[in-house]
Amino acid sequence: MDFLRSADNPWGQDIWIGISWDLVWLAVIASLAFVVLHAIAVRLRGPARIETTPPPADVPETSRVERHSLVARAFHWTMSIAMFALLITAFVPVLGLEFDWVQLHWMAGLLLLATIIWHVIHTLGWQDLWSMWVGPTDVRDGAIELKHALIPGDDDEPKHRTGKYPADHKLYHHAAATAALAATATGLFMMVRIDTPFWTRNPYLFGDGAWGMVYVLHGLAGVGLIGLVAAHVYFAVRPEKRWLTWGMVRGWITRERYRVHFDPTQWPVDELGDPSGDRGGALAEASPRSPQDDA
Amino acid sequence: MGTIRDMIAPFDFFQPATVDDALALLSEHGDDAWVLAGGLDSFDWFKDRIKRPKVVVDLGVIESLSAISESGDGLEIGAMASLTSIVNHARIRADYPLLTTAAEHVATPQIRNQGTLGGNVSQDTRCWYYRSGWPCYRAGGNTCYAAAPQAMNREHCILGASRCVAVSPSDTAPALFALDATMVVRHGRRERVIDAEDFFIGPSTDITRMTILEAGDLLTSIRIPAQWAGARVYYEKVRDRGSWDFALESVAAAFRMDGDMVADARVVVNGVAPYPVRLEAVERSIIGSRASEDLAIGAGEVAIQGVRSLRHNDYKVPMMRNLVKRAVRSVVA
Amino acid sequence: MALIGQDIAPPDLVAKITGRAKYAEDFRAEGMVFCKMLLSPMPHARVRRIDASKALRMEGVIDILTADDVPASEAPREPILSNEPLYEGAPILAVAAVDETTAAAAIEAIDVDLEPLPFVLDPLESLRPGGPDAHEQGNYASRGEWQSVKWTEQDFADAGNHMPRGEALMEWEKGDVEAAFAQADHIVEETIVHQSITHHPMEPRSTMAYWQNGKVYCHTSTQSVARTRVSLAGTLDMDPEDVVLVSEFCGGGFGSKIAGTTHMAVPALFSRKIGRPVMLRVTRYEENYIGRARPGFQCWVKMGVRTDGKVTAIDLFLVQDSGPHGASDWNTAGMIADLTYTPESMRFRAMPIYTNTPPKAAQRGPGGAQIISMLEPILDKAARAAGVDRLEMRLLNAPDADVTFGPNETTLTSVHAKEALRQGAALFGWAEKSALSGTRVGSKASGVGIGLSPYTAGSRGFDGLVLIKPDGKLYVHQGIGNLGTHSIADTARAAADVLGLEWDDVEVVWGNTAQQLPWSSVQAGSQTTHAHTRANHAAGLDAKRKCQEVAARALGGAADDYDVGGGRVFRRGRRGSGLTLAQVAERAIEYGGRFDGHELPESIHTVTTVAAGNLAGQGLLGVAKDEFGGEGAIYSWVVGFARVEVDLETGDVEVMDYTAVTDCGTVLHPRSLGAQVFGGSIQGMGMAMTQRWVFDPKWGVSFAKRFYTARPPGILDVPLDLKWGAVGIADPQSPVGAKGIGEPPVGAGAAAITTAVADALGGNCLCRTPLTPDVILADIEGRRGFGRLEQHVG
Ligand SMILES: Cc1cc2nc3c(=O)[nH]c(=O)nc-3n(C[C@H](O)[C@H](O)[C@H](O)COP(=O)(O)OP(=O)(O)OC[C@H]3O[C@@H](n4cnc5c(N)ncnc54)[C@H](O)[C@@H]3O)c2cc1C
Repeated sequence: MDFLRSADNPWGQDIWIGISWDLVWLAVIASLAFVVLHAIAVRLRGPARIETTPPPADVPETSRVERHSLVARAFHWTMSIAMFALLITAFVPVLGLEFDWVQLHWMAGLLLLATIIWHVIHTLGWQDLWSMWVGPTDVRDGAIELKHALIPGDDDEPKHRTGKYPADHKLYHHAAATAALAATATGLFMMVRIDTPFWTRNPYLFGDGAWGMVYVLHGLAGVGLIGLVAAHVYFAVRPEKRWLTWGMVRGWITRERYRVHFDPTQWPVDELGDPSGDRGGALAEASPRSPQDDA
Repeated sequence: MGTIRDMIAPFDFFQPATVDDALALLSEHGDDAWVLAGGLDSFDWFKDRIKRPKVVVDLGVIESLSAISESGDGLEIGAMASLTSIVNHARIRADYPLLTTAAEHVATPQIRNQGTLGGNVSQDTRCWYYRSGWPCYRAGGNTCYAAAPQAMNREHCILGASRCVAVSPSDTAPALFALDATMVVRHGRRERVIDAEDFFIGPSTDITRMTILEAGDLLTSIRIPAQWAGARVYYEKVRDRGSWDFALESVAAAFRMDGDMVADARVVVNGVAPYPVRLEAVERSIIGSRASEDLAIGAGEVAIQGVRSLRHNDYKVPMMRNLVKRAVRSVVA
Repeated sequence: MALIGQDIAPPDLVAKITGRAKYAEDFRAEGMVFCKMLLSPMPHARVRRIDASKALRMEGVIDILTADDVPASEAPREPILSNEPLYEGAPILAVAAVDETTAAAAIEAIDVDLEPLPFVLDPLESLRPGGPDAHEQGNYASRGEWQSVKWTEQDFADAGNHMPRGEALMEWEKGDVEAAFAQADHIVEETIVHQSITHHPMEPRSTMAYWQNGKVYCHTSTQSVARTRVSLAGTLDMDPEDVVLVSEFCGGGFGSKIAGTTHMAVPALFSRKIGRPVMLRVTRYEENYIGRARPGFQCWVKMGVRTDGKVTAIDLFLVQDSGPHGASDWNTAGMIADLTYTPESMRFRAMPIYTNTPPKAAQRGPGGAQIISMLEPILDKAARAAGVDRLEMRLLNAPDADVTFGPNETTLTSVHAKEALRQGAALFGWAEKSALSGTRVGSKASGVGIGLSPYTAGSRGFDGLVLIKPDGKLYVHQGIGNLGTHSIADTARAAADVLGLEWDDVEVVWGNTAQQLPWSSVQAGSQTTHAHTRANHAAGLDAKRKCQEVAARALGGAADDYDVGGGRVFRRGRRGSGLTLAQVAERAIEYGGRFDGHELPESIHTVTTVAAGNLAGQGLLGVAKDEFGGEGAIYSWVVGFARVEVDLETGDVEVMDYTAVTDCGTVLHPRSLGAQVFGGSIQGMGMAMTQRWVFDPKWGVSFAKRFYTARPPGILDVPLDLKWGAVGIADPQSPVGAKGIGEPPVGAGAAAITTAVADALGGNCLCRTPLTPDVILADIEGRRGFGRLEQHVG
C-alpha cells in the first residue's frame, strides 16, 4: 500500500500530488474496527465509575440546565451538515459512486469555513475559552478511563466530575478542529485553482512541490476526519451518551445529569426551570424518552 | 527519469476471434488490458509510453464486429466498421447522410481506412498537456495545466469544464448523438444499451475517462433508430487545416420539417466541451417555429448562453453561435 | 537536342518510388548497436549529477556517452551533448545497447539530477529590464563578447500598441529616412509577428557510423555530401580523407541539414568509444527538438509612399528569436525588404536575441520568406492608401537590372521580377480576379493576393569533375547532395550538353565520398543549380578540349579541327569520322598526364585534387574550377498569386487557386522546376495558414511536436487549381544561364495568402502568422485573441 501519490511534473521532477486513495479505505476500515472493538470493550467492562454526589434537596432533579446556547447548537449542526457534505462529496466518488461532486464540495467547504469563523467569533466574544483547556484533572481522568478500559479489575478509582466539557470531548474537539482547520486552510488555497466570478483560476500560485504538500495535507485531514466523524457519530448514538446528543439538540440537560456528571465549581449554571414551565417545555414533551435512556 | 517517446513498449498481444473470447480476455486481465480497434489513438499512447498496458486485445479479426446491418427499423453498425466503410455505405448515405458527412470529415482517407466507428467515439481527448504525459487531473494528478492563465488553450472548452478543460475530439460523436444513436456495450455476459447522452461523460463525473466504458467493457455496436432517417441534416466542421486535423468545433443537426415549420430538431455541437453537447435550449427555441433567418440568429444566441472562455479560446464563442445559426439557417426555405 | 530544358526522369527515381532507396537508418553493419539520447526536460538547466548505474547494469546495455566524452564547444556554439542544456529537448547523453528497445529502457532508467535555471522563450521578454537571459552569460554574443542587452521601461512604455523599440544591436541606413517620411504622402505603420516553426523534413536526422582502420564511415541524412564530410571531419578533428560519408538519399532538409547535423557526431564518437558500429535513429519527437526551426520575428515597420505608389521610405525594426545558438535570418530580411521594394531610403535595425527554444537554422528562404510574407500585405495597405492597383504597385517598386540594395550596395546579375509579375498576372487572370476582391457570397468573402519573393540563387567558383571511361559513358561526379531536388542529375546536364551527349550516355556519381567527389557548394541558399551548372559546364569544356587534343594527337591535325558530339570526336563537318568517346578514353589513358588525371590543374580545390587523383588512369578526365567569374549577387524571383475565400462566420480560409511564375534564368528541367515552385509555395502557404510551434510559457516546453499538431500543409490542403510558369530569360553571367529555385517560392506562397486574406478582410492586415480561423474570427468579432506581440502561441 502506498501512502502518498507522486508523479513526474512537466520537468521530470518527482512531486507529490496527494494521498493515496488506499488511505480512504484504511480510514473507513480503521473506524469500523474502532467502533466494533469499543462496543465490545464497553459491553465487557461497563462504563467507568464517577465519584458520587448526593442529590440536592431544593431543586427538582428533572429541572433543566442549559448546556448549549441556540447559537452554539446552530453552529454545531450547520457545521456537521457541511462536514458530512464534504466527506460524502470527497470520498464517495473515490469509493466508486460517481457524481458531479466538485462544486458541492467547495460550496460545503465554504459553508464549513463560515461556520468556523462564526464559531471563533462566538467563542471569543461569548464563551469561556478555558472550558476547553485540557488541564491536569483531565489528564488524570483520562488515565483512569484508559486504565479501566484496558486493565481488567474493578478496583479503579472513580472519575472526577468535570467542567462543562469532559476530557474526551475536549480532545476530540481539538483533534477535529485541527483536522478541519487544516482541511479548510488547504481547501481555501485550492479554491485559487478553480474559476469563480471573482478570479480566474491559477494553478501556479505555488510551485508544484508546495502544491503537493497542500494536497497531501488536505487529503490527510480529510481522511482523519473520516475517522473522527465516525467516532463522533458512534459515541453520539451510544446509549450511555445519548443524553449528551439530546443536549446538543435541545440545548439543555436535566439537573440530575448535571449533578452526576459535572462539577458545579467548574461549570456553574443557572436553572432553566421546570419542564412544565414555559421555556422549552414543548421540546421536552416532544422527546419524553430521553432522560430515561441512560444505560 | 529520461523520457522516451515514439517507441512502443512491449505488451502481450491477443487477437481473439470472437466477441466472447475478447470479453473473456478483458475480464481476465481487468485494468491491465487495452482494447485495440484501429489503433490511431491507441498507438499514440503506446508510442509515447504514457499508457503501458500489459495486455492488448485487438478486435481486428472479429469479423462480426465490422458488420453494418438492419436492426428493427433502423441500422446497427458494428464497432469495428471502418470510417471508410461508413462513408461508402449506400443505406447510411441515403438515410443518415449526417453520419456519412461526419465520417467523411475525419482526418484523411488513410486514417478513415484504419479508424473504426467504435474507436472514433471511444477515443481519448487530444489536449496536448494531457497527451504530453503531464500529471494533470485527467491523468490522475491535481492540476489542469491547460486552464492556467497563460496556458495554450485555444483548442480547449468553453462549456462543461470541471477542473479539466479538454474537449471531445470525435467527429462522428455529435452526428450519432443528433441521430439519437445508442451504444451497445457488453461486459462479460451483461449487455447494456446506452444512450449517447449517457455514453459520453464529463470530467465532473469522472475526470479520467471520456466515456462510460470501463475496464472489461466492450462496445460492440452502435444502433441508429429509424426516427431520424431521411431527416434534413446539417453538418459542419471547422478546423485549422483542410485535412488531417481535428475539429476546432463542429455542429451536427437533424430537423423534421412540417412545411416551413420546424416540427422537431436535434442540435449537437462538439469541440466546445469535454463531451458532445446537445443543445436542448436551442431545440426548444426553434421547434414549432417557422424557419427563418431570425430564428437562426436567435438559435445562435441561445446556444452560447452560459459559455465561459479561457485565455485563448474566446473565438470559440462566436464560432459556436455561428455554427448553430448556420445549422438552423440550412432549413430556411 | 540539348538536355537542358527537357523533362528527364532523374536516375534515383525508381529506387525512391519503389522503396528500394536506402536512407541512413536503413543501413546495417556487422556488430552494430543502437543508441538513444536522453533529452533535457527543462528549457534551461544544469546537470548536477548523472546516475547511470542502473542502466549500465541492464543486460544488453553497452555504454554511455556524455558531454565529457565529446569535443567541447564554447557557447553560443552548439554542443553535441551538454551538461547545461539550453532548451527542452537538448541532448544530455546517449546510451548504446544491443537493440533499440534496450537502449530506450536504459534511458528511462538513468537518473539525471538537474538544477533548473532561468529561461526565456520570447526575445522581447529578455529585453525587458530585469528580463531573463537564455545563457548564463547573457542574451547576445558576438565574437566571444557576451552582452546582456536590456531596453528601458521607457522603451516599453513608449511603444503603446506597437512593438517596443530600444537601442539596436544591428543597424544600417541608406538615405535620410526621417526626411523621406516627412515627404511621404501616405505612411503605414504596423507591428508584425511571424511565428517560429520547425523544419520537420520527412526523414529525421538519423546516422549510422563505424570505424575501420582509422577511418570513419558515416551514413547520414544530409543536404550536402562533399561539404558534410568536411564538417564531420572538423567535428572529429580529422583529415577529411579519413572520413567516408554516404548519403545517397536524403528525405528533405529545408536548410536543417546543410552540411550535416550536429548530432551526426553522436554515433561517430560513440562508435569510436566502444569500437562497434552505432546507429542513431532519430524519431519524429526528437526531430522536433534537434531538427532546427525557422526563427520567429517580431517587427515594427513603417512604410512611406508617394501618391503614385512609389515607396519612398522603409523603417524596419526586427527582433529575432535566435534560439540558443543564433541565426542570421534577420540580416537577409533587411536586405530583401530593400531589394523587393527599392525604397529611396531605408533604415534597418535588428535584435537577434538568444532564447531557450530549440536551435534555429536556415529554413527554405530564411529571413526572406518571413519578411515577404509579412511586408506584402503592408505594401497592399500602402497601395490602398495611395489608391494604386496592387499589381501596379509592385511593378512600380520592383527592381530593375540597375538595382543596388542593402548596406553594401549589392548589385544583381540579372532581375526579371517585373516580367514575372506581368506573366503571372496574365496566367492568373489578375484583371478579372482582382475584381472579386472583397466581394461576398453568403458569409464568404473573396480575396486575391500577390506575393513577390526574391531569394539568393547562386554562387561561383566550385569544381566540376567528369570522367569519360572506355565504356564510352560520361561519369559526372557530384559532390552536392540529393535531398529530393534532382540537382544531382539536372546540373550534370551542363557537362553532357557541352559534349553533345544523350542522357543515356551519362552516369551520375553521387552520394558517397569513397566514389571521389569534387569540391562543391553546400546544398543551400538555392546555390546548387547555378553553381554546379557552371562547374559542370567548366568540367565539360575541359573534357571537350581534351577530347579534341586526344583526337588531334591520334589522328593528326590541330585540336581545333575537331568537334565533339553524338558520342564521337570528329573532324569538323564530318560527323561520322574520328574516334568514339570510348576510343578517346582509351587513348587518354594511354597518353596519361593531364588527359587521364595524372596531372591536375592548380586551380582546383584540394578536395577535388584528391578525388581526381584517385580517378587517374580510368579514362579521360575533365576537371575544372568554375572561373567564369561574374559580378553581383545572384537572385531568383517567384511571384505568387492566390485567390482565397474567407468565411466571415467561422474564420476559415480556403485557397481557391494559385499561380506562380518564376524568374530563375534558363529552365533546366521544367517538371522539376514546377515541383520546386509548387512545393516551396505550398510550404509557404502552410507557414501563412496553419503551421505553428507552441510553447507553454510557464514550463518553457514545446507542443505541436508532431506532424498533426505542427500542421505543415499536405497535398489535400492545397487547391487543385495550381499553375506555374517561368520567365526563362538566361542569366547573362552564367554560361548556362540557370539560377536556383529552392527558396524564393516560399515567400511567394506565404505572401500570396497573407495578402489575399487581408484583401478578403477589406485590407485589414492581421500582421501575424499563422492565419488560423481563431485569429481571423477573433478579429472579426472583436474577441480576445492572442496578444499583439505573442510569439510561440497557437
Ligand atoms: C493524425 C490524426 C488525426 C485525426 N483526426 C481526426 C479527426 O479529424 N476527427 C476525428 O473524429 N478523429 C480523428 N482522428 C481519430 C481517428 O479517426 C480514430 O477514429 C480514433 O483515433 C480512434 O479510432 P481507432 O479505430 O483507431 O481506435 P483505437 O485507437 O484503437 O481506440 C481508441 C480508444 O477506444 C477504445 N476502443 C476502441 N474500440 C473499442 C470498443 N469496441 N470497445 C471498447 N473500447 C474501444 C480503445 O481502447 C482506445 O482507448 C485522428 C487521428 C489521428 C492519428
